[in-house]
Amino acid sequence: MDPYVVAIWIVRIAFLGGLYLFMFGVTRLLLRDLRSAARDPGGALARLVVVGSDVSEPPRGTAFGLDAVATIGRDVNNSIVVEDEFASAEHAVLTFRGRAWYVEDLGSTNGTFVNGAAIDRLCVIAYGDELQVGRVRFRFERVRR
Amino acid sequence: MNAGARPARAIGAIGRMRPRARRRESGLLIVVALVLVAGSISLGATQRELAGQKVSLLPADVGQLSIYLAALLLAHLALILAGRRSDQVLLPTIGLLGGISLLLMERLPQALVTQSLVGRTFGLASIQLGWLLLALGVVTVSAIAVRSDAWLRRYKYTWAAAGIGLLLLTFLFGNEVNGALLTIQIGPFSGQPTELIKVILVIFLAGYLSEFRPLLVDASMRLGPLRLPPLPYLLPMLAMWAIALGIVVVQRDLGAALLFFAVFLALVYIATARTSYVVIGLLLFVAGSVLAYHLFGTVRDRVDIWINPFVDASGKGYQVVQSLYAFARGGIIGTGLGAGLPLVAGHLPIPAIHTDFPLAALGEELGLIGVVAILGLYLVVIERGLRVAISAADEFRSLLAAGLTLVVGVQAFIIAAGNLKLIPLTGVTLPFISYGGSSLLANGVVIGLLLALSDRGVEPPPAPRPDSRRRARFLGAARGSAR
Repeated sequence: MDPYVVAIWIVRIAFLGGLYLFMFGVTRLLLRDLRSAARDPGGALARLVVVGSDVSEPPRGTAFGLDAVATIGRDVNNSIVVEDEFASAEHAVLTFRGRAWYVEDLGSTNGTFVNGAAIDRLCVIAYGDELQVGRVRFRFERVRR
Repeated sequence: MNAGARPARAIGAIGRMRPRARRRESGLLIVVALVLVAGSISLGATQRELAGQKVSLLPADVGQLSIYLAALLLAHLALILAGRRSDQVLLPTIGLLGGISLLLMERLPQALVTQSLVGRTFGLASIQLGWLLLALGVVTVSAIAVRSDAWLRRYKYTWAAAGIGLLLLTFLFGNEVNGALLTIQIGPFSGQPTELIKVILVIFLAGYLSEFRPLLVDASMRLGPLRLPPLPYLLPMLAMWAIALGIVVVQRDLGAALLFFAVFLALVYIATARTSYVVIGLLLFVAGSVLAYHLFGTVRDRVDIWINPFVDASGKGYQVVQSLYAFARGGIIGTGLGAGLPLVAGHLPIPAIHTDFPLAALGEELGLIGVVAILGLYLVVIERGLRVAISAADEFRSLLAAGLTLVVGVQAFIIAAGNLKLIPLTGVTLPFISYGGSSLLANGVVIGLLLALSDRGVEPPPAPRPDSRRRARFLGAARGSAR
């Protein structure tokens, strides 16, 4: 067989093999990436980040991981405790219901605000929205995996 | 991890740039360079053997290959210098796709496309190389310069108006290509506005859906087993359907219509997670398709060719039949770059091989193995894009990333499946591989935006505007009074 033809075929196979070498390298990176995301501790579904606070607790910058039901208020039994005399003991509750997150005002004295508007009982909340309880403003965020 | 309240930075803050190594990207780019050199050698050796020239194992065109690899390296260095923590897989992946495109264009007859500029005439591969370099430039610049997305999300209706304006321009001044109004001629250059419109469509939809998502999720109307949102929020879906049908009727551009409608439906589903929208959309699609089949000859031709191209194998079904032959000749490992595609009476068997059928050419010369690898590269782009979407900070960015990804993915699927006679053939380009400036530049914008969105150090999204207040109260009141 002509050695030149053999050489050409070796290069052709090398090209195809190289394509798969690239795919192999990428797949390894993707798997590593997925594994590290899966290992990420805490099964928080979303989080609330304090973006503005006039009270000592919680201070600005605090991030709270949220479970499917998270309560906010002055009472120590809440998932997120807001030490503010403008917040009610049981002020608001955030719930995840399959498709979307909802925020509900639990009949608080001073109201719960989404993007600056007072909500009347139940309201859908989206990632990136701002939530205000008392004098504390939160930003509702997706958990970054 | 929390980007918190970092102040907005000016774009040109070069003094404060902190270079950051991108080792994964470097490693993958080395593999890309090796693969492309091997491909070029394979092409060059085959071409010399067929031409009966002196045998040597040199690349086909050392100059073009090194220019392209240098451009990839420059893009990589720019991202390192800018210190972005953006995705490291996307650039090598599209770099490899673009390199394969360059090899394919070097392999096809250069006289397929010629362009005279400043007294010199450039052939197919040189023009494609120029567009590839421009596209890489667009990717790099948008990946580095886009730091805030306010200009995208604020002006969504302006974007929509621009998109519709472009569409109308095509309706009025478009040139006919293969029976479809596709291109607009500006001086010596012609462009395909639909390539740009697809990006604009995604920007608009991301803005619209992220704002009205609460209302769309909250289905309140019942129609048999389907739960529908209030009627006013169904109107965009009908409008989108009408626009897609309009494109079919006026432009005869089935590919663009299919792409727009598919991306629209997918985005609505991602935003709302409601199957009822998808069901309605599919019903509308079926109704529209049946209507178009009975009313328009072009649509009927495409479908008839798809069902049996061999009825008119030397006429209407010619391209599809030749494409199937090409795939069959390729077999499992292919004929090798440069060794396939025999000329029929001095012409390539498939006239639109560089725009609509590059996958058939690659299928013949790289075989099943090569085609699977190329489809795999598109899957990698899709995976990375959806990953960016899933970890985006808010709804708008998430929908934008998902939409941009889907535009590339769905387009690749439509044309690949069309080449393989899996669905009726519709003329769209294969992203990053087909010849064509508008396609390469638009897809460059897509990848650049995805890279910008994937940056972990990017500005946090702007606070929602207070005008969404009214709807929050409206919804709350409606829910409250229902109890």
